[in-house]
Parts: sequence; C-alpha cells; structure tokens
Amino acid sequence: MEEPVVVAAEAELSFWDQHRYILLIGISIGIAIFLVVISMALYESSGAAQLDLSRPGYSSVTSQAVKNDGDFQAYPTSGALDKSALDQFKGLYDTQAAQARAVDAFNGDPLSPDVLELSAPPPSQ
Amino acid sequence: MFRLKQLIIGIGLAIVVSGVIVGIVSAESQPMTDAQISQIKSSCVTAKNTIARLHANDALLRVNRGQMYESITTKLMAHFNARVDSNHLDSKDLETVTQNYNTALTTFRTDYQTYEESLSNALNIDCTNEPVTFYDAVADARTKRSQVHADVVKLNQYIDDYSAAFNAFTTNFYKLSGGGN
Repeated sequence: MEEPVVVAAEAELSFWDQHRYILLIGISIGIAIFLVVISMALYESSGAAQLDLSRPGYSSVTSQAVKNDGDFQAYPTSGALDKSALDQFKGLYDTQAAQARAVDAFNGDPLSPDVLELSAPPPSQ
Repeated sequence: MFRLKQLIIGIGLAIVVSGVIVGIVSAESQPMTDAQISQIKSSCVTAKNTIARLHANDALLRVNRGQMYESITTKLMAHFNARVDSNHLDSKDLETVTQNYNTALTTFRTDYQTYEESLSNALNIDCTNEPVTFYDAVADARTKRSQVHADVVKLNQYIDDYSAAFNAFTTNFYKLSGGGN
C-alpha cells in the first residue's frame, strides 16, 4: 500500500517579505541619514560650529587654541569665610580680571571698506 | 466728531512717520557708482583673503576669550557667591552682578554666532560676479562685529562691577566682624 505524499503548501510571500533584507538596509540608512541631519542642525544652531576649530579654514590657528584651562584655579565653594579666604579670592579674581582686560577683543575696524580697499577711488582732478 | 478728529490726526502722523522712514532708507542706500563696483571687483580677491584670515583669528579669539569669560563666572563668581551664601551672609549685590554678567555672556555668544554666520556668508559670495552683494554682506558683518566688541566691553565692565561689589562686601564684612585688614 502506498503512503500518501504530503505536499507542503507553499506559503505565498508578499513583495516586502521577499525583500525584507533590502527593506532592513533601506530603513537603517534612512534612520542614519535622519539622525545625521538632526545632529548637523544642532551643530549649526547651537553655536558649536563656531567653536570647532578643526573645520577647514581654521588650521592656521588650531594649535593656538587653549586646550584646557586647568591652570584657571577654581575657588572652593565651602568653608568658613575669613580674611585668608577673602584674600585668596581677591588674588584669584584679580589675576583673571587683569587677563580678561588685557585684550580688547574684536576691537578695531578690519572690515572697513577703506581697509579692504573696497571704497570708491577718489575722483581724479 | 471727536473720533473723526482722532482718525485724521492718526493718519497725518502715520504719513509723517512713513515719510521720515522712507527718507532715511533712501539716504542710506545710495546707489553704488561704476567706479566703486569696478574697484570692488579688482580688489575683492585680496579682500576675501584678508577676511578669511580675520575669520580664523576671530574664531580663535572667540574660543580662548569665551573659555576665560565662562571660567570667570563658573569657577569664581558662582563659587564665591555660594560660599558667601553658605556662611549665611548677604550675597545679593554679588549675585545681581553675576546675573548681569551671565546675561551679557549669553548675548556675546549669540552675537558672535550671528557675526560668524554673516562673515561666512560674505566669504561664500562670488565677489567678481556679485560685487554689490559682497559689499553689502561685508558691511553687515562689520556692523555685527562691532556689536560683538560692544559685548566684550560690557563683559569687562561687569568684571569690574563684580570687583567693586566684592570690595564693598569685604568692607562690610570686616565692619560686621569687627576685624580689620
């Protein structure tokens, strides 16, 4: 007696079932692009871009940037307040205040049309 | 009747004000002469190089000065205020100056960002093809840079103010504690 042949019913796969790996890769790339766009928007809008001296065009000054301000001593927040504590603060503060005042940052007028030679030439006599 | 009178006065005022504004605007935006346009075209490449150097130097200045201004408030002013407060002493004047300083620091950051964007915009303009646009962009960056300088002056003023507030606090402290220098 012959045994009945059982034929497994072939499941009908949809288009997306057949291409699920491509779908996975596509979604992953989409998410990555979305996150990069958000990061770039934050980078630009937060002002971080202006502080990033590793950008092209800044290579000439990168080495001059203060990498850390470890020598900038912080004043202790706790402890009694007496003459020595006040003198310590005065010493620290005056040093930093003098350094801050030493440079008149962004002074002058380097973008003046005369400096950049963009002004109209004087009329010839 | 009274309302009609008010309406006529209002319209009259509006006409006068708009006339003044139009006058100011037309005085400011005087047309550029051909000689100036050709001058801009001929020297704009050199000008762009100068601006690019300024762009880099100002960025360095922003990073280094910004770090210093930041540390003054976070490591000195805020810490001293906290210490005064923890000793149950009056730190109101010191805190007021610190608050003003922090506001000025925020303004400095924002103004620098605006200035940098404006300068980058000027650098991206093709000055030989668009000399007038380039000139206007440089003029805009110039105004914004002077604003950043004004912010720095203000910050330095608040640094002095804090020093004065500290001296007043010290004088008062010694008076109250009966101690001297």
